[in-house]
Amino acid sequence: MRVLQALAVLMLCLSFSTVQAAEKEINVGFIYVSPIGDAGWSYAHDLARRELDGMEGVKTSYVEAVAEGPDSERVMLNMARKGYDVIFATSFGYMDPMLKVAKQFPNAKFMHCSGFKTADNMGNYFGRMYQARYLSGMVAGGMTRSKTIGYVAAFPIPEVIRGINAFTLGVQAVNPEATVRVVWTKTWYDPATEKEAAKSLLDVGADVIAQHQDSPGPQEAAQEKGVYSIGYNTDMSTFAPKSHLTAPIWNWAPFYRNVIEQVRNGSWKAESVWPGIETGIVDLAPFSAMVPKELQDRVMAARADIVAGSNRIFVGPIKDQKGAVRIAAGVVAPDQDLLGMTWFVQGVVGTTE
Amino acid sequence: MELAIIVPLLAAAVQSGTPILYATLGEIVTEKSGVLNLGVEGVMILGTLTAFVVALTTGSPVLAFVAAGVAGTLAAAIHGMVCLWFRGNQVVSGLALTILGTGLADYLGNAYVGRTAPGFSPVALPLLSEIPIVGPIFFNHDPLVYLTYGLPPLIWYGLMRTRPGLCLRAAGEYPAAATAAGLDVAAYRWFGILGGGFLMGLGGAYLSLSYTHLWTNNLTGGRGWIAVALVIFAFWRPGRAVFGAYLFGGIMALQLRLQASGTQLPSSLLLMLPYALTVIVLVLSSWRRGASEAPAALGVNMEPAD
Amino acid sequence: MFRVRITRRQEPRGWSSWFVLGAAVALSLVLSGVLLSLRDISPLTGLAVLFKGAYGSRFAIEDCLIKAIPIFLCSLGVAVAFRLQIWNIGAEGQFALGAVGATWVALTFPELPGPILLPAMILMAALAGGLWGMVPALLRQRLQTNEIIVTLMMNYIAILFLDYLVYGVWKDPTSYGFPMTSEFPPQAVVGKIGSTSVNWGLGHCLVLGTVVWVFIRFTRIGFELRAAGDSVRAARYAGIPYDRLVVLVMVISGALAGWAGFLEASATINRLQPSIMVGYGYTAIVVAWLARLNPLTIAIASFLLAGLRVGVENLQLDLQVPAAFGGILEGLILLTVLAGGLFTSYRLSVRRS
Repeated sequence: MRVLQALAVLMLCLSFSTVQAAEKEINVGFIYVSPIGDAGWSYAHDLARRELDGMEGVKTSYVEAVAEGPDSERVMLNMARKGYDVIFATSFGYMDPMLKVAKQFPNAKFMHCSGFKTADNMGNYFGRMYQARYLSGMVAGGMTRSKTIGYVAAFPIPEVIRGINAFTLGVQAVNPEATVRVVWTKTWYDPATEKEAAKSLLDVGADVIAQHQDSPGPQEAAQEKGVYSIGYNTDMSTFAPKSHLTAPIWNWAPFYRNVIEQVRNGSWKAESVWPGIETGIVDLAPFSAMVPKELQDRVMAARADIVAGSNRIFVGPIKDQKGAVRIAAGVVAPDQDLLGMTWFVQGVVGTTE
Repeated sequence: MELAIIVPLLAAAVQSGTPILYATLGEIVTEKSGVLNLGVEGVMILGTLTAFVVALTTGSPVLAFVAAGVAGTLAAAIHGMVCLWFRGNQVVSGLALTILGTGLADYLGNAYVGRTAPGFSPVALPLLSEIPIVGPIFFNHDPLVYLTYGLPPLIWYGLMRTRPGLCLRAAGEYPAAATAAGLDVAAYRWFGILGGGFLMGLGGAYLSLSYTHLWTNNLTGGRGWIAVALVIFAFWRPGRAVFGAYLFGGIMALQLRLQASGTQLPSSLLLMLPYALTVIVLVLSSWRRGASEAPAALGVNMEPAD
Repeated sequence: MFRVRITRRQEPRGWSSWFVLGAAVALSLVLSGVLLSLRDISPLTGLAVLFKGAYGSRFAIEDCLIKAIPIFLCSLGVAVAFRLQIWNIGAEGQFALGAVGATWVALTFPELPGPILLPAMILMAALAGGLWGMVPALLRQRLQTNEIIVTLMMNYIAILFLDYLVYGVWKDPTSYGFPMTSEFPPQAVVGKIGSTSVNWGLGHCLVLGTVVWVFIRFTRIGFELRAAGDSVRAARYAGIPYDRLVVLVMVISGALAGWAGFLEASATINRLQPSIMVGYGYTAIVVAWLARLNPLTIAIASFLLAGLRVGVENLQLDLQVPAAFGGILEGLILLTVLAGGLFTSYRLSVRRS
């Protein structure tokens, strides 16, 4: 082990000296869990990476489709050995491997997305997507006639469950009797399966389709049936102009640019950051003309409340599917609970398994 | 269950069964000539990508559909070369073709992710689609589905009632006798491989032209393997292949609908349904007939005569 | 006109088969080089980066060894079945069930001391994998059900079963709802060799490889196996119990893949999570065939294909070549080697016709 460390330090010194010679260029590495061809999560991060590439004195690279666990540890080790200054890992399962690597390479900066562990040189970050989900839920709740909304979802992990819950709370804010039906596809990007899942929801009477999937498959299904849809990740209106109402969207570039600036001027700190809609990391795509003006105004008012911090969304009393109170009246759910959410709020039809 | 649920379910079964049906028919043609092609998945995905790229660049879905067939033929030709020219093991060659095909499609298709291409949309057939129950199930689809209604009888007729069909089957059943009778067995096997590949490519095209209008890696999602299984289930008969493909498509559609209707069963277990069903169906069909229906020389390369 | 005449050789060629193998690999490299040049990357640079990433440093070689362990064990099992012309495509599923079996022991008896716990985990893993392999064998023996399809479908089922466990009953309560079991107790973890990062699974490989070699080479059953593999009909005439051999090889095959699942869960991940499934079972088939089912050459081929997987990461990092490149190269090598078989098992002569 000691030999390894000595070797690693030696290599790091070597690579640092070369970096210094080249006018302190910052090398940034990204590691993605899926191919960037997934058009969704990894793709959204990669769009931001390409913007970083355009910054003065910044060089980036990435490794895609890296399995969580030992494979990811090896890839991060490789990046660190090659002298990368900042490493971003964008999947929950990269957390423990990153922690191990971070301890071996104290001079590099490590940023982990969607986890909770930190170290002296490792921070974590995420975006409060659930805020935008809540707003899109209000739109869905305002537009449904059948009071049944379909939600095509990827994997039962906290991020997705939290999004469904926030969406449902948004629906109920304008339409207390409406229910949200969930179908799991166990895929992130499989247009065929996801479209079929949306159709199955349409068959049980849903007239608005929302999704936590990376493909526009569900959007196509909604448009073919002539009902409404809510996109995800980016503005999906080009895929279904006749049904797309709005979409909760990601915008990572400003965040990543900010981190790089901080590293450059030395103000970077290893901390947990979870910025929300106020920073623009998440937001709502422009409304379609099909959304009535009053509803738009109502949603924008709620958005202003969220930005101002007066609407925290997960504020009790909130009951689960069985009717038990999970968040007591007046209590704001702490971030820890949100990060580990595994139950559905009342009004969701489906299971979290 | 009510009609309001069953009819859309069956319509979905027809639609999600269609790509599998094309591929199954292709594999039947190939296997009838005595060649086992396990590379269906790889051949299909190359068809899917080709269809998407051609549709995107030319704007013509019809051209894209045909191009996918050609791509399937070319991909299957690799299998033909390895097995017929170089006498490589058919099982392993098919596996390798799947690995190569999925890798190649992923590699070349990277640039096309996130775009939409023109494709086919549902066209209700006049009169026929008005028939209660049957109409919405069978006659409210896109043209590529209607095409599959004519295909199985055509393939059945070609294989069973024409002379070239007879020769092709002879190449798969008694290659030694066929050679002795002066037949060019290799030529018929080539025909089986290439013709089958064409159909598999069309099946792949269905996924990016009709089922969705998008491209992504792994769009075939294991449908090629299902097709290989369905050939056995169908006892190498085009008619039964239709039944098998719709049954499988129906199960895929059913498990999602069970979730949508609010079942409490874990989704992992529901997702197992199609695969478990395939095993059960295979076991049942081999129980009834054994493997006796398979072409006798299936998977066996021709030994050169001295 | 000239005609090529092909006749089967009585004895496959010896030394020149290495030449054919080399030529086949070279051809694959040339073809994949064409793909690299499609992306404006010099093929030579690309292959150099690939090679350097795989074998260019002590770390890299250690990484290859770590990856070669599960590939070797799965492949060893697959090769035993292939010898009898039983097409076991199911190593992936047997691997999954092995990991499940080992995890069950580790989670149920965390108090047991290491010398008892580890063997128990191995036993359970081999048993689970072996039984999973036995099902298609019995079906084939009794009903002539096609084992290719059954083993393949059972892969999907096994992986979904693993999913079901880690998303449900086995989910670690402290994992924030993410699908993974809790970490194994320290005595359930197979340790590392000395100061290297390679685990003692390498030792298991050595022992098991030798055992399998001795079994096939020097025992009566091993002899029957080789004889029956050469000609099923002849074996039946000679009174060799072919059907029983089918079940036996599938149990051995499954047990070895299950053992690999145990090592992966215990030594490299230290827990069970969905990302344990990265396709070793399929790579094992490629390896077994490239190595002509011989344990020693399987070891070499495992190391080389592990190198391909590791090296591709370097190719991505330095030249941003998509991850799929590894699969393409794997498929190409297999196809060309397969085609090359013609030159070693057949005699070609050109005649005037």
